[in-house]
Amino acid sequence: MSRPEREAHTLAGPYAMDAISEPDRVRFERHLAGCDECRREVAGLREATARLAAATAASPPPALKERVMAAAAATRQQPPLAEPPAASRSWPAFRSWLASRPGLASRPWSARRRFRVRLALAAGAAVVTGAAVLFGVSNGSMQDQLSRDQASSQQVAAVLTARDATMRTGAVRGGGTVTIVMSHSRRELVFTAADLRSLPAAWGYELWLAGPGGDRPVIMLPAARHGMAGPVVAAGLRPGDHLVLTAEPSGGASRPTTPMMIDVVL
Amino acid sequence: MPGTALAELIRQVARGDADAFDAVYDQVAATVFGIVRRVIRDPAQSEEVTQDVLLEVWLSAARFDPGRGSAAAWVTTLAHRRAVDRVRSVQKEADRERRVAAAVIPYDEVAEAVESSLERERVRRCLGSLTELQRESVTLAYYGGYTYSQVASLLGVPDGTIKTRMRDALIRLRDCLGVSA
Repeated sequence: MSRPEREAHTLAGPYAMDAISEPDRVRFERHLAGCDECRREVAGLREATARLAAATAASPPPALKERVMAAAAATRQQPPLAEPPAASRSWPAFRSWLASRPGLASRPWSARRRFRVRLALAAGAAVVTGAAVLFGVSNGSMQDQLSRDQASSQQVAAVLTARDATMRTGAVRGGGTVTIVMSHSRRELVFTAADLRSLPAAWGYELWLAGPGGDRPVIMLPAARHGMAGPVVAAGLRPGDHLVLTAEPSGGASRPTTPMMIDVVL
Repeated sequence: MPGTALAELIRQVARGDADAFDAVYDQVAATVFGIVRRVIRDPAQSEEVTQDVLLEVWLSAARFDPGRGSAAAWVTTLAHRRAVDRVRSVQKEADRERRVAAAVIPYDEVAEAVESSLERERVRRCLGSLTELQRESVTLAYYGGYTYSQVASLLGVPDGTIKTRMRDALIRLRDCLGVSA
């Protein structure tokens, strides 16, 4: 064992306890990659630290479980697996959690009537950038796609678990159901749709934010899996926005060109 | 499902099994919350980080490799690293000063809310079998979230000494706790 290797080896203890700076961690992990014995040793030390952790066990507040389960149900796992994640299963789980969550009452809207819920934004709040933050299938590289998926998973979870999250469900003209969970404080919402009617080839569903400042495209919904499209996140909500769904050519349109299938006042 | 081994449950979670995840939550939530709160101290932040950790278990279950350690160690490593990242990135100096005092206590105070008092007692006893320097190194690093060089300066000992003591201490703990590597 060379001198630098021997030195690196002494980091096994600090490494197993995360008691290490970032540069040291990188250095030690490089060392680990070429040292079977070190990996075994670290594994053994980690079993000891696991016991140190177990000795501090304390029950978290019960509400935490609901939040975690809901976030998991609405979050795609990584990386891609041989079998697709059970979206058909997590969707009902998500819905039933939402339906049961106190303070997050489900409020259906009718096709004609609009609910008015004002965005709780302070007057004069900084106007967010015009383009909504997008997530979805695009032409990016696989790596891009993976990192976007992860970013979005976290974004979805953040909205679902926001303290001021409110949920609404409603029917889509033409068929299907939509669920929106919105956080005013984050100015974001999570959108999912179930059982939307299938569209002709080269057409897709496009989500819009329509407000006093004009219509902004949010995203073309990704193709439905197990009947469920989404979840997708719309960010940068502004006071007075409506959420609109239309059918558009798959490339996306710059403004809605077909009748609105939902029109929800946020 | 309560009796199913954690590793098997995590394998099922990797395939998107929500029921298995429910069972995993029941098995690990207290450990995750306990260690996260021990490191972070602040209850609200601890809840946040606990939630992130448990969601990460769901997200990255497919990355758990039973050949590289137990499922419990995988989960607690995720939890501890997240907690440490949080204190290193957000805690102000003043908070850290307060936590120094708190971090030194755990050896005597490892018991808080008694959940698994037997495990707690065993760990306390094994910590007690370490030399004072080993014990302080481990408690400051693991429960306090400090790097080895921070621990070294807190204890007024050279970096190299602390690195070695930490490794020795964990080896002794591992043997004392009867952990099979």
